[in-house]
Amino acid sequence: MAKKLELILIEKGEAKRSGEANEIVVALSPSFGVQQKETIIGMPLGNVLRELAAGIEEEGFLPRFVKYYHSSDLSSFANEAAKISGSGISVGIQSKGTCMIHQRDLEQLDNLEIFPQAPLYDGNVYRQIGKNASKYGKGEIPNPVPTLNDQYALAKYQIKAALLHIKETELVDPHHPPMEMEVVLKEVEEDE
Amino acid sequence: MRRSKRFEVLENRPVNLDGFSEEWAEVGLIAMESPYDPLPSIEIRNGVIVEMDGKRREEFDSIDLFIATYGIHIPAAEESMKMKELEIARMLVDVNVPKEELIRIACSITPAKLVRVMSYLNVVEIMMAQMKMRARKTPANQAHVTNLADNPVLMAADTAEAVLRGFVELETTAAVSRYAPFNAMALLVGSAVVNRGVLSQCSLEEATELKLGLRGLTTYAETVSVYGTEAVLTDGDDTPWSKGFLAAAYASRGIKTRFTSGTGSEVLMGNTEKKSMLYLEARCMYLTKACGVQGTQNGSVSCIGVPGAVPGGFRAIAAENLMASMLGMEVASGNDQTFTHSDIRRTSKLFMQLLPGTDFITSGYSATPNLDDIFAGSNTDCDDYDDWYVLQRDIHVDGGIQPVRQEEVIQTRHRAAKAMQGIFENLGLPEISDEEIEAATYAYSSYDMPPRNIVEDIKAAEKFMESGGSGINVVKALYDSGHHEEAENLLGLLKQRVAGDYLQVAAIIDREGRVKSALNDENNYCGPETGYVISEERWQELSSRENVMSPRDF
Repeated sequence: MAKKLELILIEKGEAKRSGEANEIVVALSPSFGVQQKETIIGMPLGNVLRELAAGIEEEGFLPRFVKYYHSSDLSSFANEAAKISGSGISVGIQSKGTCMIHQRDLEQLDNLEIFPQAPLYDGNVYRQIGKNASKYGKGEIPNPVPTLNDQYALAKYQIKAALLHIKETELVDPHHPPMEMEVVLKEVEEDE
Repeated sequence: MRRSKRFEVLENRPVNLDGFSEEWAEVGLIAMESPYDPLPSIEIRNGVIVEMDGKRREEFDSIDLFIATYGIHIPAAEESMKMKELEIARMLVDVNVPKEELIRIACSITPAKLVRVMSYLNVVEIMMAQMKMRARKTPANQAHVTNLADNPVLMAADTAEAVLRGFVELETTAAVSRYAPFNAMALLVGSAVVNRGVLSQCSLEEATELKLGLRGLTTYAETVSVYGTEAVLTDGDDTPWSKGFLAAAYASRGIKTRFTSGTGSEVLMGNTEKKSMLYLEARCMYLTKACGVQGTQNGSVSCIGVPGAVPGGFRAIAAENLMASMLGMEVASGNDQTFTHSDIRRTSKLFMQLLPGTDFITSGYSATPNLDDIFAGSNTDCDDYDDWYVLQRDIHVDGGIQPVRQEEVIQTRHRAAKAMQGIFENLGLPEISDEEIEAATYAYSSYDMPPRNIVEDIKAAEKFMESGGSGINVVKALYDSGHHEEAENLLGLLKQRVAGDYLQVAAIIDREGRVKSALNDENNYCGPETGYVISEERWQELSSRENVMSPRDF
């Protein structure tokens, strides 16, 4: 069992377009790590970022973390992130755990891969998402991360998803530019 | 506290796995009748609406402006707005008041007024009104056909089976969007195997979806989403005008289109302006009407977990379907995504549209097992067919799908899979093996299919699109690979776009390949023995069962 990782985000100035071809921008939603510290099923957001980063690094790329404030809409900020990513590829993630891989020359509402059923994703899925993002960064066409589907996830979690997204959207500031973030992960002792 | 054994049993009932919530009007988490909903009002000066629902024209957002300009029949508005909401509600359930009169009223009042009419109706009254107000006389049904692996062979076979069972519209999407051209193709081919073919679509990002439509790889469009608050609408990079433009783009190529909206979507997107779900949906309905679109898919669709979690949710959902019909539009009435663990809840929800009948009772019956339904599962799936048939038989109601024989299903699935093999070979796409055909013919789900090389398929799908692949290429490939009847049917479907008949409200293609719409099959219900009556022939079809006892057995 992985240790619980506390997420500390340190702002490093406004995020700009980069020329680093070996980076994947990991785009974080407005409330990521602020009002919300864990996904819809209680996975700590620190652990989510650790897995995404590990997946990206395993394929020889570097994660670059950027926080978005102008929108809580995943397609919107993931596509913006792909546009400033040196590789042209981004992984966008909302606080509740919903995730997508985007590419800069796609339509905003399109994507390379989408992971809409957050209650079903564990660390392994996030690691695979990171790996695939890097593979797209290399210009490969990888096998998509296998689709997970559970019709009861909606019955159980949709109302919770709505409430979490309302919290997320509270922090939207249309005029706030995206910010470069340093990610610090701190192991915390779990209470028995 | 010592626990009651009865409470312990109740706690473990499926219904208690569902998510519920209290009302919270401040964030719009309220089905209808929010204290923040506006009071109806209208002021017209020189033929221009200068006030609507308590807002002056200067304060209008883009949705208000669009509705006030294009969505309300201004010459009749002052008179209609003077009517009492209770009076309109009573007219809805009065069989002596014709449908046309109510459509005329609904088209000349404001969203807030229409919502207040709804608040006077209980669910039985809403169902009575729905029976009278729906556009097409003959009720019908739409199915989802998807699978986890985006396997095109299985998808074509599942499509053909769905048509055999009576679905007249088929919808797919892609687990991985780059697979979409093959998914669209699978539906096109599968739908042309039975009778004279039915309409099919592929739900995607709008530009891609439009492209597939223009190329003739789909024959209708549905996933043109509208929302009731400006913030949510513009978050999707849209305005009312861009939606109207998109609708016009489809219409210009003779492609049937409906918009999609539904209660709860604005809550899920986090911006409700404190309004109730039903009021925001009323705005969507007037916006849809204003765009000149023939119909809508509503009924909370994929957001049903939200109205379903608050008090009065089902009533609001039934009311939103009725609002669409009142504006003279086709309604594909939801019963789409899964929202409950409880069979009692899901059936009760379904009954509110199955019993009165709507243009499409479900706008997404999963023609596959729910595990393969990429729209996150449906309220009813292929495991529910026999329950559905028995309910039709028990209640004497036509729910739009009919019993079939196993031999027929096997033959039909085989034919669809063979046709896919033929066109893939003819078009130089990755091979479909005989083993895959065999598996697709008898499969339950995508787990029964041998895996395909996904990367090769995606590359081939992209190449097909880049080289200008179209519906006509598919017709030709069908013909050249010896599938003449399917080629003829598919060509017939594509010809319909030139004729334009299926742009009429609530159009479907019937078993003989003719367009049936509210124009030539108008719902004229005005009391017992009017409107849709199940014919003797249809009743035989609906009530037939294999495992029934017969007096001859004794």
